[in-house]
Amino acid sequence: MAWRLYALELPQAQDLLPEGPEPEGFWPLEEPWAARRAEALPWPEPLYFLDGKERAEGLLAEGRRLALLGCVAAGAVVYEGGRMRLLPPRVRRVGVGLSEPLRVGELRYEPFPAEGEGVYALQEGLRRARANLEAEVAQELSGGLLVVDGPVRLKRVGPILGYIKTHWARYLPPEKEALLAALAPGERTPLFRIRRKGLELASWYLRLPLPPEGVRPPEAGLLRLETPLDGPYGWLAALSLSLFPALASHPVKDPRAPQNLTPVGGLERELGRRMGSREVVARLLARYLGGG
Amino acid sequence: MERVGVVLGSREATPLAFWVGVEGEGLLRLDDLVVVEGFHPKVGRVRYFGMVDHVAKVHEGETYDTDTFLAVEGHIPVSLAYVAHVSVTRILPEEFFPPDPGSPVYLAKGEDLELALYYEGMRNQKGTTKLPAGLLKNGEVAYLNLEFLNGVKGGHVNISGISGVAAKTSYATFLLKSLLESGVLEDAHQAKVLLFNVKGEDLFFLDKPNARLTEEAKAEYEALGLPPTPFRSVAFLAPPKKDGYVPDVDTRLEGVRAYHYDLVQFCQRGLLPFLFADRGFMTNLGFLVQHLTEKLRRLAEGQKGPHLLVDDWPREELPEAKAFDALGKVPLRSFADLVRYLEYKLLGPETGEGEGDRSWTARQARGTLEAFVRRLRASVENVAHLIRGDRPGNPPDPLKGEQVHVVDLAKLSPQAQMFVVGSLLKDVFERKERGQYRGRVFIVLDELNKYAPRDEEGPIKDVLLDIAERGRSLGVILIGAEQTASEVERRVVGNAAIRVVGRLDAAEAERPEYRYLPTTFRQRALILPQGWVILHQPEIPVPLLVRFPFPAWATKREEVLEDNSAEALRRELF
Repeated sequence: MAWRLYALELPQAQDLLPEGPEPEGFWPLEEPWAARRAEALPWPEPLYFLDGKERAEGLLAEGRRLALLGCVAAGAVVYEGGRMRLLPPRVRRVGVGLSEPLRVGELRYEPFPAEGEGVYALQEGLRRARANLEAEVAQELSGGLLVVDGPVRLKRVGPILGYIKTHWARYLPPEKEALLAALAPGERTPLFRIRRKGLELASWYLRLPLPPEGVRPPEAGLLRLETPLDGPYGWLAALSLSLFPALASHPVKDPRAPQNLTPVGGLERELGRRMGSREVVARLLARYLGGG
Repeated sequence: MERVGVVLGSREATPLAFWVGVEGEGLLRLDDLVVVEGFHPKVGRVRYFGMVDHVAKVHEGETYDTDTFLAVEGHIPVSLAYVAHVSVTRILPEEFFPPDPGSPVYLAKGEDLELALYYEGMRNQKGTTKLPAGLLKNGEVAYLNLEFLNGVKGGHVNISGISGVAAKTSYATFLLKSLLESGVLEDAHQAKVLLFNVKGEDLFFLDKPNARLTEEAKAEYEALGLPPTPFRSVAFLAPPKKDGYVPDVDTRLEGVRAYHYDLVQFCQRGLLPFLFADRGFMTNLGFLVQHLTEKLRRLAEGQKGPHLLVDDWPREELPEAKAFDALGKVPLRSFADLVRYLEYKLLGPETGEGEGDRSWTARQARGTLEAFVRRLRASVENVAHLIRGDRPGNPPDPLKGEQVHVVDLAKLSPQAQMFVVGSLLKDVFERKERGQYRGRVFIVLDELNKYAPRDEEGPIKDVLLDIAERGRSLGVILIGAEQTASEVERRVVGNAAIRVVGRLDAAEAERPEYRYLPTTFRQRALILPQGWVILHQPEIPVPLLVRFPFPAWATKREEVLEDNSAEALRRELF
């Protein structure tokens, strides 16, 4: 029996899952609990921005077995010598749930294990494939500061800074949360400690400029940052105030402004381009695997 | 071969035009020539030769125009796209299928360049016909196929461009230099050149070395295979001053001869029509002019000149009563005399309402006759010093003597200019027609729009049309120039195989006369720098932008390189 195309589109909504369990407790690292500003600091060089992208391209069926074909890409841009430069991105096609490589026209999908059954397990597999690829790219970035999109999951020799754009988890007790609404652009909260899956992290909130001011809900423009507690977190907290507001995107150009940083936006666009045209891939799949 | 990029796949690639993405350190400029190799299993290898006619750079990854600021500040990554559009000039073999996107693109050099510009086909059974016509931007020599210039396959050159940016006259003289001295025109020693100097006296120093000629310019002449020397054999002819016989020139004082016609030559050669440039307005007048031309020709038959003898002018009207000869004839000693004589023949004696001589009036109404006489009288002031009866005529004869004849028109009135151009062209053309001279004759005439205007008729336009349409087979080649080709008779421009465009006026460049130029060239014609022209010839489907070297001959008095050696002084003194 051969693999047959089952569907090209997958149910959406997987993006809306919260990121892990609720944090327990609140351990402030700085006193008093008030908004903080900092002097402008020079950006460290090289400064890396890492991001990845995944795309489900088709759901296959062989009898009762399911497999998810997808494309994952990861890459980095580096700021060096006053220029933002793209490092060669990596693109891989994977078939989550396949046991051997599958060739579809000019495309080749490498097998990737799925943990569990069902479409959601397959999608989770695709996310893992992307995380692996990101880790691979990150390994090659030596020195400087690495900024990753999302929570810090990687272990790295040099400093690493994660930034979280959407806030599912509540880290602050209600009486402290009032400060978030009071933060002005370019200000941050004091540091506090969080624990996640064995990682000890320092975290803080930061307000990005979002022109025009005052027409959006108070969470807009709020970014949460985190970095390992064993790193130079004090310096990073100060640096973040000169770094992130400068890289915030403009709402006219990016619907995810301002949290979607401009270099990362450029990187994502580039990754999307390297993954190839969605339509062309869909046609190839339909041509070679469809009609069963 | 130097690889500069690949054929783009994001834009359509066709057999006649495609886009090139320039890679890395590659450099592609307008006018660069490239070669691309294509392959198809049924046809085999095909090579596309082309010329870059558009280049562009753009930031890829920018969605909004303001993203450029972010890119410059280093906030977003962008990649620079450098693309060029190539117009194909040639496909070898001629299999018109498109090149594959991604095919490497190379700069065409040496042999490839020759193929791209069809140079390898510029030869006949006697050898090469590659006439140096300037330098391409990459320093290689641009060639014209001589066979399209000397009348074998085509002839005539048309040069257009606004004045003052050193293009028309300079390029025409450069072309003459190449024709006469490159050795490509094999009977160059027999060729004659008739150059009309229409303004200033800049052509009066063609035989003097230019003091401002730099070493680089000399190297350019060397690259073109031409000696960086002035013209060797030049005759300078200028009209006489209105009173006397001294040539009317200001800057050049030696070696200029005065030219004029005598009355007998005027009549015998039938030059009367050239005094009436607007003949076409009144058909009756045109007929009368023809008739009188013929009458005068018969009258002058057998006469030696310089004065014209007539035997039917009553004694009492004679201004100089003593001037009877033994046969009872009266000599006419000036153009004014001739006009008075014609007036007498056409309208009768001045006293009273007499009638003219019926055999002269050709039954024309008195109004026509009076109009003719009025016009003729008005021309006395303009041409009396050119058509005279007091000493033997000495009209320019470009087919004799020196190789290049410069005929000055600058100081003449428009009517006299018309007269000189018309009568000289007619003379040269008729003698070539009768086979009286074997070599080729190149005629350089600026301000064609004056002599062959689009909307008016005239005797000179007739001669020019004749030359344009039949001249090439007779070996008479017109190198015409004008500011605006749109105002010149279409058939004169249309017959020019070689077209040269210097800097153009923006409105002029949009006229249909320049449609043979691709859009980018028309745009570029507006900003052409000094010393550059766009050259179009029949064999090459794209025009070439060429640079020609600084003149090796002086173009004005200050540029003359004075030869103060003892030898030169001795020659001057003895």
